[in-house]
Amino acid sequence: MHVSKWEGRRSYEQWKAYGLLFPSLIIFALFMIWPFFYTIYLSFFDWNMVAPTKTFVGFQNYVDVLTDPITYKVLRNTLFYIVLLLAMNLVVPYIFAFVLDLVLHRWKGFYKGAIFLPSVISLVVGSILFMWLLNPVSGPVAIVLGAFGITMPVWSKLDGWVIVGLSLITSWKVFGYNFIVLYAAVNGISREVIEAAKLDGVPLWRIFVQIVLPLSGATGIYVLIITIVQGLQYVFTPIKVLTQGGPYYGSANLIYQAYHEAFVLYRTGHSAALSILTMFIFFILLWLEFKFVERGIHYAN
Amino acid sequence: MKRWSIIGALLMALFVLGACSGDSKGSKEQAEGKTVIEYWHVNAETQGGQTVDALVKEFNETSDTVEVIAKYNPDMYKGLMQNLQAEAASGKAPAVIQVGWSFLDYFSNNFEFVSPQTIIDQHFEEDATFLSDHFLPNVMDLAKNAEGVQVGIPYSLSSPVLYINRDLLREAGVSEEGPKTWQEVREFSNTIQQKTGKHGFYMQEPADNWATQALLESNGARMLTDGKATFASAEGIEAYSLLRDMVVKDQTALHVPWDQGVQSFIDGNVAMVYTTIARRMQIQDNARFDVATVPSPTWEGKEVRLPAGGAMLAITAKEEEQQRAAWEFMKFLYSVESVAAWTEGTGYVPPREGVAEAENGLKTFLEENEMMKAAIDQMDGVVPWTSFPGDAGLQAEQLLLDVRDQILGGSVDVETGLKETEERINELLK
Amino acid sequence: MQTKWRYTIPWHIVFLLFITTLLFPILFAIGSSFRPLEEAYNDVLNFIPWNPTLENYRIFFGSMDVIQITFNTFLIASCVTLFKVCTSFLAAYAFVFLKFKGKDVLYFLFIATIFIPFSVTMIPNYLVISDIGLSDHLVGVMLPQLADAIGIFLLHQSMRTIPMSLIEVARLDNLSHRRIMKDIVLPLVKPAVTSTSIWFFILSWNEYVWPVLMLKSVEQYTLPLALQMYMSSEGGTHFTVAMAVAVVTMIIPLLLYLTFQKYIIGTFTSSGIK
Repeated sequence: MHVSKWEGRRSYEQWKAYGLLFPSLIIFALFMIWPFFYTIYLSFFDWNMVAPTKTFVGFQNYVDVLTDPITYKVLRNTLFYIVLLLAMNLVVPYIFAFVLDLVLHRWKGFYKGAIFLPSVISLVVGSILFMWLLNPVSGPVAIVLGAFGITMPVWSKLDGWVIVGLSLITSWKVFGYNFIVLYAAVNGISREVIEAAKLDGVPLWRIFVQIVLPLSGATGIYVLIITIVQGLQYVFTPIKVLTQGGPYYGSANLIYQAYHEAFVLYRTGHSAALSILTMFIFFILLWLEFKFVERGIHYAN
Repeated sequence: MKRWSIIGALLMALFVLGACSGDSKGSKEQAEGKTVIEYWHVNAETQGGQTVDALVKEFNETSDTVEVIAKYNPDMYKGLMQNLQAEAASGKAPAVIQVGWSFLDYFSNNFEFVSPQTIIDQHFEEDATFLSDHFLPNVMDLAKNAEGVQVGIPYSLSSPVLYINRDLLREAGVSEEGPKTWQEVREFSNTIQQKTGKHGFYMQEPADNWATQALLESNGARMLTDGKATFASAEGIEAYSLLRDMVVKDQTALHVPWDQGVQSFIDGNVAMVYTTIARRMQIQDNARFDVATVPSPTWEGKEVRLPAGGAMLAITAKEEEQQRAAWEFMKFLYSVESVAAWTEGTGYVPPREGVAEAENGLKTFLEENEMMKAAIDQMDGVVPWTSFPGDAGLQAEQLLLDVRDQILGGSVDVETGLKETEERINELLK
Repeated sequence: MQTKWRYTIPWHIVFLLFITTLLFPILFAIGSSFRPLEEAYNDVLNFIPWNPTLENYRIFFGSMDVIQITFNTFLIASCVTLFKVCTSFLAAYAFVFLKFKGKDVLYFLFIATIFIPFSVTMIPNYLVISDIGLSDHLVGVMLPQLADAIGIFLLHQSMRTIPMSLIEVARLDNLSHRRIMKDIVLPLVKPAVTSTSIWFFILSWNEYVWPVLMLKSVEQYTLPLALQMYMSSEGGTHFTVAMAVAVVTMIIPLLLYLTFQKYIIGTFTSSGIK
């Protein structure tokens, strides 16, 4: 009697759980997972999106993509973007959050508010705005630099510089959100430990590295992942508006390049193969997330 | 909790409202019993969008049988092609679309279309000679694909001109009539930079090779000969080297994105800009100096060959009723008055005859806007914008863009760059 | 106190400089939207509108039905936010408080969707939505956005902080899951729900790439799309009108933010991923 009631309850719980997951699941299945498999399927075909027939080409698209030197250039760019975005949207906001929480005592509210502000603005707006602001000859930045005798580089046409420029534009938007999330994590650390360390005269940088980092690590990793995954997608808009991947693929990242192959050159197969490659890289990140964040949380609790 | 449910209820109400308003619109159109067709264009508000709306409105008011819905496609002809691609993938098609010249072959190879003359012959006997009466043969030829099929009718025609800042030219002590040849452009540019410290020249750098083609072909090179790329000839290399030297060696020419280059011309930081006549309005309205246009520079002793910019109108309607409606609408767009309005709104050169001189056409407009003159005067030199044939055409176009970045960025020399690109394109075109 | 100030002044300077850099573009955009284009071109640095004009707004309001467009944007952003938060809440609740087969696999699968770049989903989604006849329709824009693994993740993290014993006691009292969600879990994770909602609203409000692909009729446009009406590679960008559109686009998120500023930052702070 007793047992069967529990059994019944358990299976009821199961169905209840599936019921609760159903709305998300159906959306994911339709608009995320099915497209994912469809893309894998497309990566084995030569197709231009309109032709009635798709030609099966086996692994040819992968071979093409992996033997194309441009793929490696784009890959290097992607890594450079990741490094810059992490520096600008993880390291700097982490330090700022720490300083604001533990070093400064005045105007905290104002600082928090002002730093978050640009993150409510759309990146298309940001891109047009910065195209004007960062005009290397006529823009306000160039004029101000000119007054100090510095010639602004033609950043959008120079390898390296162009990635720095686009990352800065993207960071202008992303910084605030990451900052607030990190601030929340730093703020959530028990004061006692930190006050004790302060009284012992432990220097600030050691408090940051040895106490704050480990205790807010889970958030740190969340921001790390979000910065990489979302960051590479956010950069898409400025690339599209400002450089279209140029100069000579100098600013294209994996996501833009996949778009370029599919919607500019209509090489759907190449685009799909490139996307799958991107996914592969992202899945390594996912694995890291599960390894560290989920476990980290278990420890914290 | 209460607040949340209120917000929820409000949202649901909004949602229902939105759905209803959407429906009522749909039913209203059908109730009038007109054939509804879609016209896809690329004209943003800064480039004739209002004229498109006005023309469509006028047509809808006068026509008892056809209702046109104009749809704007962002990102120019490339964007329109992308949308068409997606629409075709879902089995639908608009009725009339603008096809950019460089997409001519790609479009005709991949999409269903009907040649306007076919529809005219089937349903509109009275218009049998409309096209041959009003269009010059060389203009109609612009809309023929590699196989010689008449894909559509030229609609937006532009050509590249040289915009000059006369104040800067005078200050530098060079002829305020502007340079006549490309060699002079380089000399002017050097002098201007020495005398005024400003940049001498900027050539438009969009995501296409239009202006480059003008530069190369005017020197006797050909982008394409008998289906093979031939731009890396001695003339082609000579022409490209001039531009490269101005950017890389002399450093008198700017190498920036299009919008930034034009911005720097308007605020007086660059003395000469080589770009499309479609930018006339933007430049004329905003420049504070003595601005003028001069015809595209030539190469010493050679004739100019300028690729036509802009687009043609093609009919993609599938059903007969839609196709007939499409021609009725197109015929309206090609009337003298409509073409005149189109030219005034966009700055394009009229594609058909009998508009420029006509009283109900552009007579007064052209008298008031002298900057148009350079573009209209050089129409004789207009040739088709090269559209590489076959499925790999867009990739070929992309390779040319790649090499432009490399050459102007100074990472490859002109000869190697052009020769390698030519080889790769010919490999693709096989 | 003396030593404190010596410590903090350099940092205050860093923060003030940093904030000036962050806010300058916004001020520049607002200033430019009230200037004639001709003046903006010729006097770039002086972005304060000494001779303010409403011409740019007149052009924008004259060429588009701004009320309709704003309404569209609002409708999409609200519906998307509401649905996203609901689906996320339900899923997170199931993952945290219920036992069922395949939990770990499903959670992994859900989280994995964060890592699918939009370049993968763009083409197939377009095809699906066109097939059911919802392209060029606001609902078509909303559909793929109705669930979001980030929402599930964030609420999951927040619900984890609720002691399991609390839920077990409630279950032993025979409280239904609906009651538990409403009366116990929701009040406890309300800060997280609020901050997530506001963030989703802002994201959806500014969404550009997907609506561009979906919406073709001007009546269906959203505000970020309206912007592209004034950008053309051939005709040039009408910078000051574009900035007027930008300002109109910013107003609602900005007002939302400024009104609830204390609350938003407060909830972010108290709902951190722990």
